[in-house]
Amino acid sequence: MPDWRTYVRANLGSLSMRRAEEQQVVCELAEHLEEHCLMLCANGSPEEVAIAKTCAQAGDWEELRRGIVSAKQEGNMQERVKQIWIPGLATLFSSYILLAVLQWAGTRPWISHPGEPRQIFFYTPWLMALPFIGAAGAYLSRRANGARWQVYFAASLPVLALGAFFLLLIPLMFVTDRQVPLSVKGTAFLALMANWIILPGAALCIGVALQRLLNRKTIVN
Amino acid sequence: MIRTELKRGTAELAILSVLEEGPLHGYEIGRRIEEHSAGALRYTLAALYPLLYRMEHRGWLRADWVTGDNGKRRRCYRLTSRGKKMLKPMRAEWADLFRALRQVAKVSHA
Repeated sequence: MPDWRTYVRANLGSLSMRRAEEQQVVCELAEHLEEHCLMLCANGSPEEVAIAKTCAQAGDWEELRRGIVSAKQEGNMQERVKQIWIPGLATLFSSYILLAVLQWAGTRPWISHPGEPRQIFFYTPWLMALPFIGAAGAYLSRRANGARWQVYFAASLPVLALGAFFLLLIPLMFVTDRQVPLSVKGTAFLALMANWIILPGAALCIGVALQRLLNRKTIVN
Repeated sequence: MIRTELKRGTAELAILSVLEEGPLHGYEIGRRIEEHSAGALRYTLAALYPLLYRMEHRGWLRADWVTGDNGKRRRCYRLTSRGKKMLKPMRAEWADLFRALRQVAKVSHA
């Protein structure tokens, strides 16, 4: 009887997936072939005939390889959607909708150094709500078995999206607007980053950390 | 013998139906389908396993490694509640198809 694992590995080639996952696929297929061969032998087929029939039963190896890769990729994509994009978009929309509602309701931010380029403003109710939104995003991502980086990425998507936008737009303004001195532009840029990226980002990450803590306590209990 | 292209469309329903009877590993799924169809539906590895993985990712099946009485580890598939929900509309769809074929092509089924 041949070593079916070696046979499968040799015919299947690389599946371009994690080693452990690939190993599992090889094991499963080898078990299938071995069982089929044993069944044929048990039904009276000579071993050589059973082996030949089993090898034929495998079908087209290239088709099998492509089929498995495509099925696994489809699955990985669905997982990424559940682990990153659904929780991330939920966090993104809920945080900015909340901010819009607060502004519409007339909530005014507390501003340090008003009128100066270095002004930093605190939408206190918004900043206080962000940890809960971050925790909800983290919960959704973790529920879909998201890895740690995916959980943080999903929960902080609102600031990451805005950060990407700033990083694209602001250097352009630095170049185009020549009337304002560079030092003023720099200070305004830093204040903008603090207002919209660093403070909200920290609030969202606090939410993720709290959710992790809560999750750990639930598991322990 | 049924052509491969035709068989492919039937595989999802066939897999869900045999798993409705209880959890099975890949080889046993193929064998049961072949047995229940009196040898008419026989799937190669290339037809069976990519579909099993796809159905698992869709959440219709759940697979776990189980150690059998002989000490061998096998990946056992079971129907999830989502998979069970898929069965009824899928059966209805196939029944509609057979009805339509009967009328159009004078095809009858046993």
